[in-house]
Amino acid sequence: MNQAHSAIDPKLLEILVCPLTKGPLRYDQKNAELISDRAGLAYPIRDGIPIMLTEEARELRDNEKKKA
Amino acid sequence: MNYGPAMPIDDIFDRPTLRRRRDRAAASSTESFFLISEVAARIAERVGEVNRQFPLALDLGCHRGEFAACVAANEAVNEQIATLVQSDLSAPMAMAAGDTGPVLATDPEALPFRAGSFDLITSVLDLHAVNDLPGALLQIRHALKPDGLFLAALFGSGTLAELRQSWLDAEAALKGGASPRVAPFAELGDCAALLQRAGFTLPVADSDLITVSYENPLHLMADLKAIGQSNPLTGRNRTPVTRTLLSEAAERYYTGFSDDEGRVPASFEILFLTGWAPTEL
Repeated sequence: MNQAHSAIDPKLLEILVCPLTKGPLRYDQKNAELISDRAGLAYPIRDGIPIMLTEEARELRDNEKKKA
Repeated sequence: MNYGPAMPIDDIFDRPTLRRRRDRAAASSTESFFLISEVAARIAERVGEVNRQFPLALDLGCHRGEFAACVAANEAVNEQIATLVQSDLSAPMAMAAGDTGPVLATDPEALPFRAGSFDLITSVLDLHAVNDLPGALLQIRHALKPDGLFLAALFGSGTLAELRQSWLDAEAALKGGASPRVAPFAELGDCAALLQRAGFTLPVADSDLITVSYENPLHLMADLKAIGQSNPLTGRNRTPVTRTLLSEAAERYYTGFSDDEGRVPASFEILFLTGWAPTEL
């Protein structure tokens, strides 16, 4: 997937939070993911569409976690 | 007395299966979505009756963008809504909803929106299949700005009454017992109280009855499947329906409900929920 294709709408980015914790998300543009440090989950962005479903999210590895 | 650890209560709706079915339904023919389009048009009409601007709106459970299409087709409503975000439980469905604005995949039971984000939230025939409707309504209210409007349509208890009866009778006759084949739907009388409990002000619930005429019951079942609305119950019978049982159900539908012209009706009771987020959150 190329980067331009996975760009997320800025208006959407402004209002999105983690569906599990309602906490903030970090936008990882390079890997097309929205990261919830508090939940330890990364939500994928496929074809520019954020998939905000916990069952589709990837669990963060220990070295990826930042202090929430 | 020791009752032991609490047993987990099964969810009524099998949401993962529902999501897979909607993924598949994203590729169905446009004609199958006529009921969604019809109800979306009625919701758009109701938005038009409110003399107000909605800079940022969300269509929750957008199917293939039927509500967005109704908004685009209605000049006055189109001017009321500056940006329409579309979301669906199924990513392929949301993707099929098109590029009129931002789209995403969300579960109405775990909304990913900051409190006070939207001026308007609509939902067309989606919320009847959540396991925790009060919880979903509460999250929707939180996602609204103060004075934001919530307008939803969902299936009510009168929906698919003929189909429910036909399955019951057919299974009772052939198997001496019945399994749930049509989901239970909300009662109109409960909806205003549900809205109030979720913190909405001026809650209103009303209903429309839509009767669709089908050539035969199998076409109805095919349509329900095509839009990803076939039996989503956790407690459904997982054994595939036999040809004998299917023809028995179709036969009973036909003899019980067919009209003078030999067509069969399918009733859909559509509940409309309206509520406002309080001015002071």
